[in-house]
Amino acid sequence: MGVTERGEQRRDEGPPRPVPRHVACVMDGNGRWAQRRSLPRTAGHRAAETTVIDIIEAARTAGVEWLSLYAFSTENWNRPGTEVDYLMRLVRRVVRKHAPLLLARGIRCRFLGVADPRIPRELAQDFDDLATLTADNQGMTLTVAFDHGGRRDIVEAARSLIRRGTPADEVTEHLFADHLPFPDTPDVDLVIRTSGEQRISNFMLWQVAYAEWVFPEALWPDFRAPDFLACLQTYQRRDRRFGGVPSQTNGDPS
Amino acid sequence: MTTGTTTTADEAPLFGPESQFRDFFDDPRWAPAMIRATVLEAAHPQIGAALADNSTFVAHPWRRLRNTFLSMRRMFDADPAVREREAARLNRLHARMSGSDSRGRPYDAMDRATRAWVVATLFESAVTMCRLSGQPLDQDTMERMYAEYRAYLAALDGDAGELPEDLNDFWPYFDRVVEEELENTEAARVILYRLFDHLPAPALLGGAPTLWAAGRAVVGPLLGAITVASLPEPYRRKAGLPEMPGAPTLMQGAYLAAGLTRFLPAGWFDAETIIEVLSLSPESDDPRARTVTALHARIKQASALLRLLAPLGADTAPDPAPGPSGESRRSAEEFFRQVLDQTGDGHLDWPDLAAMARELATRLDLDEPEETRLYDAFAAWWRELQAALDTDGDGRVSAEEYAAAVPSLAGPALIRVAEVLFDATDKDGNGTIDAQEYRTLFRTAFHRDLTTTDGTYGRSAFVGDFLAFMSGRRTNSPYDPLLADA
Repeated sequence: MGVTERGEQRRDEGPPRPVPRHVACVMDGNGRWAQRRSLPRTAGHRAAETTVIDIIEAARTAGVEWLSLYAFSTENWNRPGTEVDYLMRLVRRVVRKHAPLLLARGIRCRFLGVADPRIPRELAQDFDDLATLTADNQGMTLTVAFDHGGRRDIVEAARSLIRRGTPADEVTEHLFADHLPFPDTPDVDLVIRTSGEQRISNFMLWQVAYAEWVFPEALWPDFRAPDFLACLQTYQRRDRRFGGVPSQTNGDPS
Repeated sequence: MTTGTTTTADEAPLFGPESQFRDFFDDPRWAPAMIRATVLEAAHPQIGAALADNSTFVAHPWRRLRNTFLSMRRMFDADPAVREREAARLNRLHARMSGSDSRGRPYDAMDRATRAWVVATLFESAVTMCRLSGQPLDQDTMERMYAEYRAYLAALDGDAGELPEDLNDFWPYFDRVVEEELENTEAARVILYRLFDHLPAPALLGGAPTLWAAGRAVVGPLLGAITVASLPEPYRRKAGLPEMPGAPTLMQGAYLAAGLTRFLPAGWFDAETIIEVLSLSPESDDPRARTVTALHARIKQASALLRLLAPLGADTAPDPAPGPSGESRRSAEEFFRQVLDQTGDGHLDWPDLAAMARELATRLDLDEPEETRLYDAFAAWWRELQAALDTDGDGRVSAEEYAAAVPSLAGPALIRVAEVLFDATDKDGNGTIDAQEYRTLFRTAFHRDLTTTDGTYGRSAFVGDFLAFMSGRRTNSPYDPLLADA
């Protein structure tokens, strides 16, 4: 408490808040990073790999239990075909390269979304394999949102409820959340969106309901562990109120 | 045995736990011997044609193995009532199998001489397995065993008149059939050359197709070579089977090694346990399944790591594994191959549906008249399918014809099948399926997401789920282990 600066949302009393349980990152700025260096956009994606590994390690060491990364949105399919192809190949290489490391670090990996038939079958297989391989890990849970759309997840949950024939009166926020993909995911506590952009972009819409947001100016390839820790500290200094009611679990506001 | 009674061979019961047959039951040599006997059976033109038309052993070999094993165990049960019931069941089952082979010669699974040949191959393979493993049977044991097998035939056929009464006359009979009647049938070739190379993984290893394929690539050809080398020379000549250098040594070595397990402590090798464990689905709630599930998970993780570590360039070949595992619907082609085409011949015709009826009737342990009702319902469904799907009028439905007309699968006859199945499963006829009745059919407890009320399963939910499986092609249903597993 003694060293905190005077910020507009500074906590006034009590011990510092604990480390956020669930941190989500919107990895923005790869393209701009490359353009500033007169490199092709793909070079920016390649440079992002180092940051991803750095942040995973930093989050784990800091005691974050859930880390979610927004790797590819349903809207990203609109990018040029060559860039999408490149991304698919890159992601595949990254997944395979770091699988043993993730396993050894005790990180449970899973992939949110991954529904589009345009995803190469080999890549989907690798996602499956990595999830299977690390399913029993007890350390941090890493959720990679790939071909993810927050609205689509909500629509899917609604469909699932209707298919089960659940009567309208029985649908509660809690029950609804049980039909989202990976229903064990807790609410997001902190969202970090790099490159200074301040948008939600259809990312885990249900889970970010009570999240704190920070928008560091660094582009994702320049973002490093110290920047990540700085974001955690910003979060810890903020006073989260949940409209006056604390929340710990997904979709359970009571 | 310690009582010191002097029972003569005549007084000793031919069936039950004391029989010679029982002694061999848990003998690992039975495995190659049974394969050998099956080839000799399939080489008989009548049996070969029946197998080619009706048998599920290509598409669902493990299920078939389990059913055969349990049936034989019942046929040698100490309780005569169990034996009679099983014999009656087998007779009903075989009475439904008749037709004609590819050359138009009729076959009939009730043919007495043919059925005698099946028993003869079992007996002869048991004797041969002892000879090949260097522990030949003495004359008394052999005669006693022959009496047991004749009694087996008598239990099925009423009498054993088709098999020579005396063991000394059996060998000329056997040699004559091998030399004069056996042929190089399609079914025998399938067993020798195709089955082991394409053997689908048992339920236990279903999640590890890569590992299974790797093991199969090594063991498949070996099993083939071992079986070929153990067949009678006249048949090998007639069927044009290869003489491979080293194969006889390999074959004798295999039998010898399998025979050595007799030095293991009693109970270490229990055929029933092995077969049951192989056919355990990891999702079932059997207490053993927990261990199996753990093992299964480890196997899956190991193969996932293997795939992830494999160099990237290597996987240009199409991967046989289906797409993302989260997928809850399968393609029309997959459904055709895994569920509808039970005999694995690439076509859907009556024997495929009869095989489904047979499997369900076996699971539910049906007697008459429920069994016939179930068959009749399936037969009506077949007529409905044929009318709707067989567009080229060749009397059977090809995978293409099926894929072109998937939506029309859920007609009134299929609903009727579901209703008859519900009635058969609902043994006490109280209109709902309770946990015990459910377990009889699916060998597992109610599934979590099942639409059950008060721990029972109602008619409409049952019919709905059956239709969803059969027409909606939904996977991860309890019907999967029942009809789709190998």
